Amino acid sequence: MLKHETWHKFGRNKLSMIRVTNLKKAFGAIRAVDDISFEIPDNQVFGLLGPNGAGKTTTINLIVGIINADAGSVAINGENDPTRTHLRRRIGAAPQALAIYDNLSAEENLAFFGKLYGLSGKKLKERVDWCLDLAGLQDRRRDRVGKYSGGMKRRLNMACAIVHDPPILLLDEPTVGVDPQSRNMIFDRIEMLKNDGRTIVYTTHYMEEAQRLCDRVAIIDHGKILAEGTIDSLIETHGGMGTVNAELELPVPENAKLPAELNENRLSFESSQPLQDIAALADAGVKYRSLRVERPNLEKVFLNLTGRRLRD
Amino acid sequence: MGAMFHLAIKDLKLLWRDKVGFFWVLGFPLLIALFFGSIYSGAGSATARSMKIAVITDNMNPTVQSFYDQLGKSDVLVLTPMPLDSARPLVAQGKLAAYVQYIDSSKSAFDMFSGHKPHIKVGIDPSRKAEAGYLNGLLNQAFFMQLQSRFTDVKGWRRYLKDQRQSWDSIGTGWNSKLGMDFFEKLDGVLESAEKIDSAYAMKSDSASDSVSEKNYSPFAALDVAYEDVAVIWAGPRSSFEITFPQSLQWALIAAAAAFSLSIVTERTRGTFLRLRIAPISRMQILGGKGLACFIFCVGVCSLLMAVGILIFGVGVASWTYLILAILAGGICFVGVMMLISVMGKTEAAVSGAGWAVMLVMAMIGGGMMPLMFMPSWLKSISHLSPIKWGILALEGSIWRGFGFGEMILPLAVLVGVGVVGFIIGTMILSRSDG
Ligand SMILES: Nc1ncnc2c1ncn2[C@@H]1O[C@H](COP(=O)(O)OP(=O)(O)OP(=O)(O)O)[C@@H](O)[C@H]1O
Ligand SMILES: [Mg+2]
Repeated sequence: MLKHETWHKFGRNKLSMIRVTNLKKAFGAIRAVDDISFEIPDNQVFGLLGPNGAGKTTTINLIVGIINADAGSVAINGENDPTRTHLRRRIGAAPQALAIYDNLSAEENLAFFGKLYGLSGKKLKERVDWCLDLAGLQDRRRDRVGKYSGGMKRRLNMACAIVHDPPILLLDEPTVGVDPQSRNMIFDRIEMLKNDGRTIVYTTHYMEEAQRLCDRVAIIDHGKILAEGTIDSLIETHGGMGTVNAELELPVPENAKLPAELNENRLSFESSQPLQDIAALADAGVKYRSLRVERPNLEKVFLNLTGRRLRD
Repeated sequence: MGAMFHLAIKDLKLLWRDKVGFFWVLGFPLLIALFFGSIYSGAGSATARSMKIAVITDNMNPTVQSFYDQLGKSDVLVLTPMPLDSARPLVAQGKLAAYVQYIDSSKSAFDMFSGHKPHIKVGIDPSRKAEAGYLNGLLNQAFFMQLQSRFTDVKGWRRYLKDQRQSWDSIGTGWNSKLGMDFFEKLDGVLESAEKIDSAYAMKSDSASDSVSEKNYSPFAALDVAYEDVAVIWAGPRSSFEITFPQSLQWALIAAAAAFSLSIVTERTRGTFLRLRIAPISRMQILGGKGLACFIFCVGVCSLLMAVGILIFGVGVASWTYLILAILAGGICFVGVMMLISVMGKTEAAVSGAGWAVMLVMAMIGGGMMPLMFMPSWLKSISHLSPIKWGILALEGSIWRGFGFGEMILPLAVLVGVGVVGFIIGTMILSRSDG
């Protein structure tokens, strides 16, 4: 179903598709991006996870070269200046703000952006069709975008970034303000796009999204990358211990040594090996009424790194 | 170039779909042209209602006088008696619609019944076909009325018969029978003429409305109208619409500049501008596309408005070449104005507020509201600062001022200059503000 001619023409010769080195950008006193470096290997989904104002959008804008860095460099497939025409043709970006024309239909929006990338004729028609399928907007293709729901606009906003079939995709918060159904659809599409062999940068402040979609995640705050790696490695290094919450049958046998004080019948403790601890207590005769084990997640990672939650 | 073209097409499509915006660029200017056009002209079209003509007084006699008197009875004609030498230049300048000269070489007023043909010379611009036909009808009517008054003038008849008898007497008796025959022949001729007049009169009252505009209508074969072509060099607007249509074009340009400058800001705030900048096209192509769309739109709307003015409201064109140049230069000028306005703020409200404020002042001092000729002189000198003044001047130069190349070049150069400088400055500011 998906074909990528441009993709193969790209001539991938480097292991990292996007490499960002010591990138800096300040707006007056605000250091929006403050010495950021990362590398994204080919065909991976890379997440930039951070709260509002962390510098995610600024990083994306620096990668596509529409704002100039104060310092540092960006390399796309080993080439330095991302504003070069042949590199631009291979990058698709869905801006955080809905960058589509309300007074044009979905079809017209897609065709217009396609033409800017040099598509025409049958090829353009095919790509527009493909994108309408991707966005699930075939039946509304001729309606003005102004009449679409927020979710439909979001999907079109993403589709407009893919109309020229780029091997590199930058998606800036593609799920803002959409209902769970549209969101799931967007996730499916992103997974599909990744399975096609694309390299995707995905920014979000939802850790569930990063956890579901991303191969690697950089946690970013105040313009700095606090930690970067696969989800598992991040949780392992920064997630801390798991949490056990239990309600016990009273009385508790006297020989059982509880790892924390009882609060009425409730027991809550942190552990690096929660399952073993639970089993040991059961062996000592402790009876559980209810039991909940929380594994550390990216939210916990962020909390541990910054002392703050991702969203307030 | 291809990308610029796609960008321009997109912008034109967007504007076309914005019906309210469209009213401001097309409907509103047209309303201005019509509203002020009819206010300035009093009630409706001035040209159709009264026609100012000169009657030539070079060879006056009672017959000529009585013809002019008859002609003056028409409500449509305003007559000014003057010699031919004064009349011709006035017609050439468009200040008078035509001149009429009644040439009568008969000795007696009653000679017209004796096979003697008076003739009338009309000097009129060959392009004024409708007026010429109209005038012809009025001339025939006056001539006929003059004849009719002769018939009922019994005193005149008796004087005529007496004159005739006297002339027989002087010739001598030998000829009496021959002259008597002559007299009866003449009388017969008169009666024949009267018959013709009667039937012609009946015809005329049947089809009065048609006959006046019919050039060849001639109730009396004796009336011989000769036309002299006096090509008009316009020295003033022929109607108020020739003043208000150039103004209306300026309003269309203002509205177009407002709409397109707003569309630049909207693209910036909405983020579509960002998507354009990510695309493999240069910034010059993006802004060039905007400029191109604005230019095409300006020229299109101006042409449409002018077509309405020319075809429906009788606006004349002295030079088509200059009219086309004036419209093109106006378009270029407002592309520059549009770019300058688009960088006057970062939000839609700021730009649209600033844009209209600037352009209203420009229109006010440039003669877009009140025609320059009605303005106090101090305001007239300030008006040089407004591109609107130059736009109107260029259009008027091609419509009724009859400008030559030397006179056209200044307003055209100012318009193109404002356009180019505005575009360059606007582009520079826009590039800088994007970081
Ligand atoms: N054009 C600009 N001018 C001035 N300051 C800016 C500009 N763009 C971004 N900033 C500032 O830079 C910082 C980072 O902004 P950025 O948009 O990159 O954050 P973000 O991570 O994308 O946030 P969000 O999740 O809200 O989109 C913020 O403090 C912001 O106010
Ligand atoms: Mg952002």
